[in-house]
Parts: sequence; structure tokens; C-alpha cells
Amino acid sequence: MIGVEPWVINVAELKFFGYLADLAGSRKREVTLERAVPLRELLPPRFPKENIIILINEKAASLDSVIQNEDSVVFMPILSGG
Amino acid sequence: MKGYAGKLLRVNLTDGKISKEEISESMKKDFLGGRGFAVKLLWDEVKRVDPLSEKNKIILATGPLSGQMLPSSGKMVIASKSPLTGGYGDGNIGTLASVHLRKAGYDVVVVEGRSEKPCLLVIEDDQVRIVEASELWGKNTFDVQDHLEKTYGRNSGILLTGPAGENLIPISTVMSQRGRAGGRPGMGAVMGSKHLKGVVIKGTGSIPNADDGQLKALGKKGYEEIKGKESYDFWMRQGTMQAFEWCNENGCLPTYNFREGVFEFSKEMDGYVLEQFHVDRKGCPMCNMQCGHVIKDSEDQRAELDYENVGMLGPNIGLRDLRQVALLNRMADEWGLDTISLGSGIGFLMEASERGLIKEKIGWGDFVAAQKLIREIGMGEGTGSLVSRGVKAASEALGKDSYRWAMHVKGLEISAYNCHGCPGMALSFGTSPIGASHKDAWIIAWEIATDRFSYSKEKVEKLVEFQRIRGGFFESATVCRLPWVEVSFGLHWYPEYLEAITGIHRTWEDLYQIGDRIYTLIRAFWKREIPQFGRTWDFPPDRWFEEPHSQGKVKGVTVDRKKYEEMLSYYYQLRGWDENGIPLKQTLDRLELKEVAKEITGSF
Repeated sequence: MIGVEPWVINVAELKFFGYLADLAGSRKREVTLERAVPLRELLPPRFPKENIIILINEKAASLDSVIQNEDSVVFMPILSGG
Repeated sequence: MKGYAGKLLRVNLTDGKISKEEISESMKKDFLGGRGFAVKLLWDEVKRVDPLSEKNKIILATGPLSGQMLPSSGKMVIASKSPLTGGYGDGNIGTLASVHLRKAGYDVVVVEGRSEKPCLLVIEDDQVRIVEASELWGKNTFDVQDHLEKTYGRNSGILLTGPAGENLIPISTVMSQRGRAGGRPGMGAVMGSKHLKGVVIKGTGSIPNADDGQLKALGKKGYEEIKGKESYDFWMRQGTMQAFEWCNENGCLPTYNFREGVFEFSKEMDGYVLEQFHVDRKGCPMCNMQCGHVIKDSEDQRAELDYENVGMLGPNIGLRDLRQVALLNRMADEWGLDTISLGSGIGFLMEASERGLIKEKIGWGDFVAAQKLIREIGMGEGTGSLVSRGVKAASEALGKDSYRWAMHVKGLEISAYNCHGCPGMALSFGTSPIGASHKDAWIIAWEIATDRFSYSKEKVEKLVEFQRIRGGFFESATVCRLPWVEVSFGLHWYPEYLEAITGIHRTWEDLYQIGDRIYTLIRAFWKREIPQFGRTWDFPPDRWFEEPHSQGKVKGVTVDRKKYEEMLSYYYQLRGWDENGIPLKQTLDRLELKEVAKEITGSF
């Protein structure tokens, strides 16, 4: 169901910022989805469940939010400001 | 109450008188320390004076957590009536001076008067001296730090003003340890006005805590928790510079004097680029998550960077080379200039040049011109002198509607977060008690995570909560706020630390009450010192309301002025202030500030 297939145009894009990129293993992933799935199914088990920013198509979301191909998802840490 | 040295050291530089006073139990109970002590002392002792006259006072204040063996506690507050804003001014600095002051047996130092000749204040436990320092006057903060370390020992606590402060430049700050800075609203100039080049502190005693064994155990657990966090390794690699990519992605990066929120060259200077240039890390005492990242600047000298100075001296002035930004930052530190106000001032001049409002041609990203401007700003001469008193004063001098893009609130320059599309953060800047500082309520991450473009009551309530925690507790305790948010260090630790130190159990609700008292007293101070002070002072500049970005995620968006007004009114309601933002009598009574109500009766 899920695979990194950059030659496929119909994909969902996941972008990871800060330490979340370390946990995800990359700063950007593209996944091909055969059906809409909750975000948490696309993430490694140790990915944080709280204190993070999740935006789907620039709108606030959660790990339970469902995404499909062509969605753009951003994961960011909560920062404190310098 | 345990956990305090219990003494206030008062030094009058005019007559050389040095005295030690007991700090009352009610002072400790009602104001905790740090910012709380500072505003109480300024309220009681500094009334309607010229900030650069000998009648002003500068306060160095620690709190019960300062210098203790617990995470990121090497902090102190430096406060005074601000020569930049005319209101309450303070800043939090990480420095060995905090640790040494407590060990020397003092919680607070009050410096008043003016020395005839340049001087140093030297505090070595009970021995306190005023030492002539004419030979150090005019020297930069790095050279003086080196000299004093050779004279008094490398481990001494040292606070300095630079040449900018000596020249009474209102955007000058206080420096320590070649890169630590604090006191954005002109605390360096207040030192300069007193001919006080620096303070050297060496303490050998210990702090009388209620339960040292418990504190040691809790402190150890705290340090271990921080090191075990999943975000810890990344934090140690990039520190606050991870905010650079974050802000660019969210359209919040200050770019071209806050015109834009994304910088086309951001990938040439973000946290990953910092990692490539990184040569060392620096931090405050008692900290195991140091935020200062040292790189070699474009002259191959060591320079310490963090997000604020890169944001303001990089994209905000159109400069795309991180090593050149590092050089500007080093110059600012040597001169003792605040990097945020400096970047805002240079950006203001570049925009003024572009608009043809000044005769000099200063293009965006002009590195050579920026260096020249820093020297001029530090000297108060030439073109740079226009912004050496801050962009508010510059816009008043320049006229021609330049106030619309003079990026400040209450006269203090806005730090490195562009808020066209972040109304909650705009309100946070608007209501920060020293002017546009990000430190009191950094709500921007929370609002992007929830409902970015809303003007909800919930957002205002969250803002007040953050102010209570950050501006109220952390600034008064005094400890660094970064462990809490950056690596999710638990807030529950702080009441536990306080109890082990003071022997008194206090909940966060109790600490909120102290924070509210401090905020309301600061508000009263502004009103007393500036009679026309009120609601209009809580607004960010017109640029955020009227001039949307041309690109990025918040292209076309501005803050809605009417909805901002509604949020501001609700903020006042939550604070117990009237529609003009002035504390209500019943609020002053509730916060046990009755004497304040009496003194500013004319305001009610």
C-alpha cells in the first residue's frame, strides 16, 4: 500500500522539520496511497504523539487525520523562540 | 524564607556609599525574585526621572532558582527605566555573574548615582569596591572581558557595557562572556550614563536552601530528563537556529524590513548550513542544552550565532551569507549593541534609502554598508545615528509616513517573527511588558498548530497563560525558558525545585498570581512614567495590518485591525485592566498593590 515511488505523479508529500526529520529518516517523503489512511499509519512507532505541529494542506490536523494522494503534509516541532 | 541570600547590595556611584539591606519576607513572597524584585524596586525608587540621569537606577536581580544546580539556572535580570522606550525595561542574561552573586551573599544589586570617572564595581563576597577604570573606557566588550579575566580570574562573573553604551546609545545592551547579552531596552546605555564600565563578581559561599539533598536529587533527574529527550540531539546541533527553516516555511521570517515572510536565499544560511560551519558551542552556566553556536565569520574570527541575530542581520537586511552575518553579529557584541534592534534599524535605513527618503544609497544586502552603519550607530554619528535611538525615534525624525514600517511596539524593535499571518503572536508582541519582545509569550507555534488565522478568545487565554509562565515565572525565578518548550522539559519540576529551595509548597496557580502582580505593576510603571500611555501603545505597526506579503504561505494576508482590537479588549478583561489598558482599582486591590492605586489615583 505504501511505497517510495518518486516516478509516480499521484503521491502524497510528507515534509519533516527539525528533529522530526531525524525520527522520520528524511526531510521529505513521497508516498503512494491506494486508499485514504490515518497519518499515524505512515509514521515510525517512536514518532511523537504530542507537542508537534501537523498541517495537512496548510490546515491544522492530528495524527488521526486521514490523508490521500495529492495531500501535502507538514510535521514541525513546537519551538520556543531564540 | 530559605533559598535566598537575603541581602540587597546598594551602591551609590556619586558618593561611593555601599550598603547592605535585608530583603523583606513579603518581597520574597509577593515578587519571587528577578523581574519581580526589579519592578518593585523601580516602582518604589525611580519616579519620573530621565533614564540617562544619575537619578535612574540599574537593578541586577536573581531569584531563588538562580545559580542552583538545576537545569539552565545561570540567569539574572538586568532592569532599569528604559532610555529607549521611556517605560519599564529589562532583559534576562545567562552569565556566571548570576551564580557568583548568589554565592557572594546577595540576591540583588542596586546601582545608583553616577561616578565622576569610569569605574568598575567589584564584588568579592563581603568586600565591595568601586575601582577606577579609565583605561577600559572606549574598549570593546571582548577586549575588556579578556582583560578582566586576566585580572580577576577566568571564572569571574563579569557584566559589561560596550562603547555603544558609553556613548549613551539607547539600543545598547549589557554583555557577558563574549556573546551573552541581556537588557535590550538600553540597559547598556544606563550603565554608560553612570560611567559604570562593568561589574565583576566573585562569590565563594553557598545558598542556604531548605533541603539541599532533595534539590540535588531533583536537579540530577532534571538534567537526565533533558538529555533523554528525543529532540535533544537535534537541539544540540542547531539550537534556536532550527527556527530559521521553520519560520521560512511558515512565512514568518523577517525579510526586507518585515516586508516579506520568506527569503529566497534561506537555504544558504539555515540551521543545516550552520551545522557545516560549526566550530564550537557556548552556553550559560548550569545549562546542559547550550544554545550558542560558534562559527568562523568572514574574517575568520569566532562569532556566536542564534536565530534572532541571524534573522535580523540576515534576511531582514537582505544579507544571504551566514559568515558575513556572523561578522555583523560579532561587531554588535563587541560594541554592546542589541542585535535585534540593530537589524531592525539597518533594515529601516535600507528601506528609507530605497524609497529615496535619505540621500545615502544603501542597497539590500550591502555588507560593506552594514559594517559602516554599525560603527556609526555605535558612535551615534553619520547616517547610522538616525536609528541609534531606535526605529520609533527614527521614524519621528524622518516623517513621511515612515512610522508605518518602523517595526517596533512601545519603542522596542520587534524580534525575528513576522506576524502578518499570526494575529496571536502580533498580540503577544503588542502586550509584551517591555515592548516588542518575543520572550514573554511566544504563542506563534501554538497558534500555527491549532487555528492560525483565528482571533479566538481561546487564543487570548493561551497568550495570558504563556505570559504567566514565561514572563511571570521564568523571568522572576530566574531560569531559562528554553528547556520547557524546546525539549518538552516538564513544568511540574519547577514547583518541586522551589519547594526544595524555599521550603514552601506552591502550585502553578500560586505562581500565576505572582506573575499577574508583576505584569500589573509593570503596567502601572509605564502609566506613571508616561501619562499619555494607554491602549494605542499596544499596537504593532501598520505594515502588519496593511501590507501583505507578495509570496509564501501567507501571501495576501494581513492582521485584521478590528479583530485585533477585540482580542486586545478581551486581553485587558482577563488582566483586570480597563479599556485603555490601565489596571482597575479592584485588580490592584486583589493583587495586594493598594499603594499603587493610591499613587496613580489621577489615572483612575
